[in-house]
Amino acid sequence: MFNLKLSMFSGTRELEEKIDQMHDKIIESTLCFKNAFDIYLKEKRSINYRRASKKMKQIEAKADDLRREIESQLYIHNLIPDLRADVLQMVENIDKVINEFDEVAHKFYIEQPDIPVQYQGKFRKLVNEVSECAENMAIASRAFFRDFTTVRDYARKVYFLEQESDKTWAGLKQDVFDSDMELAHKIQLNTLIGDVADVADRAEDCIDALLIFTIKRDI
Amino acid sequence: MDLSYLFYLSSGLFLGWSLGANDAANIFGTAVGSKMVRFSTIASVACIFVIIGAVFSGSGTSRTLENLGAVNALPGAFMVALSAALAVYMMVRIGITVSTSQAIVGSIIGWNIYAGKPTDLSTLAQIVGTWTTCPLISGIVAICLYMCLKKLQKCSSMHLLMRDQITRICLILTAAVGAYALGANNIANVVGVFIESCPFNPLNFGKVLTLNSLQVLFLLGALAIGVGILTYSHKVIKTVGNNLMRMSPTVALIIVLSQATVLLLFSSVNLHNWLESASLPTIPLVPVSSTQAVIGAILGIGLIKGGRGVNWSIVGKLVVGWVTAPLMAMLICFISLFFLENVFNQVVYAAN
Repeated sequence: MFNLKLSMFSGTRELEEKIDQMHDKIIESTLCFKNAFDIYLKEKRSINYRRASKKMKQIEAKADDLRREIESQLYIHNLIPDLRADVLQMVENIDKVINEFDEVAHKFYIEQPDIPVQYQGKFRKLVNEVSECAENMAIASRAFFRDFTTVRDYARKVYFLEQESDKTWAGLKQDVFDSDMELAHKIQLNTLIGDVADVADRAEDCIDALLIFTIKRDI
Repeated sequence: MDLSYLFYLSSGLFLGWSLGANDAANIFGTAVGSKMVRFSTIASVACIFVIIGAVFSGSGTSRTLENLGAVNALPGAFMVALSAALAVYMMVRIGITVSTSQAIVGSIIGWNIYAGKPTDLSTLAQIVGTWTTCPLISGIVAICLYMCLKKLQKCSSMHLLMRDQITRICLILTAAVGAYALGANNIANVVGVFIESCPFNPLNFGKVLTLNSLQVLFLLGALAIGVGILTYSHKVIKTVGNNLMRMSPTVALIIVLSQATVLLLFSSVNLHNWLESASLPTIPLVPVSSTQAVIGAILGIGLIKGGRGVNWSIVGKLVVGWVTAPLMAMLICFISLFFLENVFNQVVYAAN
């Protein structure tokens, strides 16, 4: 009887663990991204930056594996049919955020943009806001599985941080184009600033979907 | 045993089939609709428990229908059951889930009018009274359960996936209880009119179990309900589905639980006797409508949520169905009795 009970719930527990690990990955990727950016500002494309970028890749690869495992477990083992489409979309959204972090970090590695000292402060601020935004999105997403009321609290935080990052992005963009840099340099920086800011937009989209799932699931 | 009895009983069995097809949607429609449980699994569980409920607890409500109109001729009983079944079948075909209990009451009154027998108004009032108290009690039970579960959800930090898995198991268990209650409460609708002329001998299953003649009749009726569940309920679930209100699995569970509670309250002889012995007001043993119980529960939850999410046009359609079904059954019964007596020369009622 006890064995039967265990086997009935073991699939669910395994899936719970994997979803938790997926959330861990996004937190890891935000921390890693912030760290990589700091290294880049200090050392540009150094060995340390290469290591940080490689770590981002590993996190992204692991997140991809987890997403595939979650998908197969949801469908092959016919778990939670009513909820699986929502869970799947959520996991895919998280994966996309992680991918974007990885892509931006890799772009810095390939393009090696020169970030003048006067813009570094604002750039760092943008990176911090975007990372915090993604981090809060991950917390909200994790809360969806245990405590619906908390989802709303963190969703508000994400919306706030996204707006702040938009302001920082607009300011930084203006500063870049007001400067005396070469046009090519301006365009390169502008693209990179936009790519970083896009991560916050993606996190905001995830929260929008998450709030709908919460309404659907609330008894 | 006279074989003609089995022929006449066939209309009761048809009614049983309609009841199985129609009311199973109330017991596990939402569980299947939300794909939480496989149809074959839950239908098999429901079949077993409908039979157990009907055979072992079905006698309580049968008396009430006998009091309303003791159909004393077998061809008459045949037509009473057939009219009710036809009324339910027609309503189901147009996608309105109706009450078999109401249809059979309409049919019996049709027989009373045709036979010139007086309808026991106090029994009728008791039955009609349950048509309002049943959804009301169901709604109250659903609201209480909803509030309790909502509080529990706030306090517990159980993972959503685990909660869903537990809900899934609970849905199967409550479907079993709901099916038991349905069998116990509604078997009187199916074969109640045939009790007077029941010709069966007791049935022995070795030395383990003996069924008396009435229980054999109930067993046949319950088997017909089971066939209805297995063969047609899937279509009714698809037709009726979640139209009334979109439900989460937890709400589906609350609704089935409320319905089972109400059906058990109205069919438990033990509870009735206990209340009587304690000089408390008793709950009448009346076959009530599981459809009404479900609608009452859904509306209860809908109202506590502020009325949003309830499809009121479908509620209106259902209420119209509830009024139409007994009237339709009464009319069909009256006209069919006329033909049965005058065209087929059958005795549809005994003078004394």
